Amino acid sequence: MTGATIQAKNGVNGAVSAVLKSLKDSGCVDAVLVPTRVKSGETFVYLLIRNPKMLDSCAPLPPVMPVQGARALQSLTRHGKVEQTVLCVMRPCEVRASIELAKRRQVDLENVLFMSLDCPGALRTRDYVNDPEALDKRYQGILNNWEGDGLRPTCETCVHFSCEDVPVDLHVGLVGTKEEEAVIIGVSKRGEELLDKAGIECSEDVSAWQVEVEKARDKKAGNRSKVVSELKDKAAGMDNLGLLFADCINCHNCMRVCPICYCRQCFFDSSDQVRLRAEDYFAKAQARGGIRFPGDMMQFHLGRIYHMGLSCVGCGACEDGCPMDVPVSQVFAFAGDEVQKTFDYVPGRSTDEPIPTLTYEEDELHEYEDA
Amino acid sequence: MADDGAARQLDKEILSPKPGIQSPAEGGGDFQPRIVGFLCNWCSYAGADLAGVTRLKMPPSMVAIRVMCSSRVDPLFVLKAFLAGADGVLVAGCHPGDCHYQTGNYYTRRRFALTLKVLEELGLEANRVRLSWVSASEGGRFAEVVTEFTETIRKAGPNPAKTEVFL
Repeated sequence: MTGATIQAKNGVNGAVSAVLKSLKDSGCVDAVLVPTRVKSGETFVYLLIRNPKMLDSCAPLPPVMPVQGARALQSLTRHGKVEQTVLCVMRPCEVRASIELAKRRQVDLENVLFMSLDCPGALRTRDYVNDPEALDKRYQGILNNWEGDGLRPTCETCVHFSCEDVPVDLHVGLVGTKEEEAVIIGVSKRGEELLDKAGIECSEDVSAWQVEVEKARDKKAGNRSKVVSELKDKAAGMDNLGLLFADCINCHNCMRVCPICYCRQCFFDSSDQVRLRAEDYFAKAQARGGIRFPGDMMQFHLGRIYHMGLSCVGCGACEDGCPMDVPVSQVFAFAGDEVQKTFDYVPGRSTDEPIPTLTYEEDELHEYEDA
Repeated sequence: MADDGAARQLDKEILSPKPGIQSPAEGGGDFQPRIVGFLCNWCSYAGADLAGVTRLKMPPSMVAIRVMCSSRVDPLFVLKAFLAGADGVLVAGCHPGDCHYQTGNYYTRRRFALTLKVLEELGLEANRVRLSWVSASEGGRFAEVVTEFTETIRKAGPNPAKTEVFL
């Protein structure tokens, strides 16, 4: 793997926006989909940018992830493929979610290119909105040292923060590079061509960066197994799960912000599935002594694990969007990990890998059936 | 979307106890397991029918919900029955290779593996769900499956979700 060093005197965002500009100027990219700070300065949204001047103010690696990038891309390609070339600048989890959506035919990847960055994680959006300036500073510290307080718990245990197992075209390496420097790498063939056309010569050896990524990944993997086993003990069994989800107010926001949850009409919103007639509720209450309202809380969360667990990329949008701080994403992490392992499936790794429940082998999984 | 029939029927079956079977919560004596069985139309349901008309002996513990194919069973159905208080959930379909729709039951097996794995991971009682292949001619096997499963469940005791209020 080879790459090119780019100067980041004005921070990562400045360096990457300069690259984006030269890509746009070279004419091989028609538009760029990239996070940009909103006018109030308190948060970020995705902008589809045609005017190169506007790239000056974009923020390719914002400290928060209030909008999951796959959702932005989904809106753009809702009616099928785009006719112009779009470069999407996203965190690795957002790229992976886009791939999962593409497998569900909710995103069309034709003419879509991806650029990702080494992601140190994201801060909680609610924290950020309260004090953007202080948290900007904190995030800068996290970027420099590749660790620090205040990252979302999901991000602390994320092992897909770089470009391995993420089908990107371009990647910006940040881990362990010199301060005020970053490396840009053409990961796919298309990515290499893009950089070539933009006059960015990629001839430097990047093995030093790769070693650092490996180190950082080992550390995160260690975190992950520790956190997962702790949580598993804490969550096991109906009683413990009940405690874990106890604060849920049934707002279903976790479902709405989830990039993979795409059904236009949800099982949990369709009245005949989940809402009973009064006499049925009375019968239920009679059998149990009483029942909770709003109901079906457990069914909602466990049901979502069933529907999304295989494809969960661990972006943490659900937890970030939860007004009650229910650790949704963390429960997904350990339940999802195991089902993904069962099918040897890494969500978002490649568009060539079908979703495990949509394919089969004739001779398999005999331990789950009885003769 | 899930068809309304199956889901509504599920609620009804679980909510209204059969005469003669009382839930322990209501002070019933011996524990009589209640099992929800999702049976595929072409094999297992016919197998159940055969067991019935041949008057084979089996415990009256299972309520059957007929689905056109075992692959119709969304893991959510199993979950819903489980949380509604079913002591056991059986998914039954044609033997692999014999699916009326050629490949449906291969998908069933994948879905069921997912269903079971999540229950296991969350420390819920995975022994309360079961996947069995029963063909239309296997009335005897159907009776066996129901008898065996009922005994397993009887040993496991009532589903604790039955009396859980804050679900």
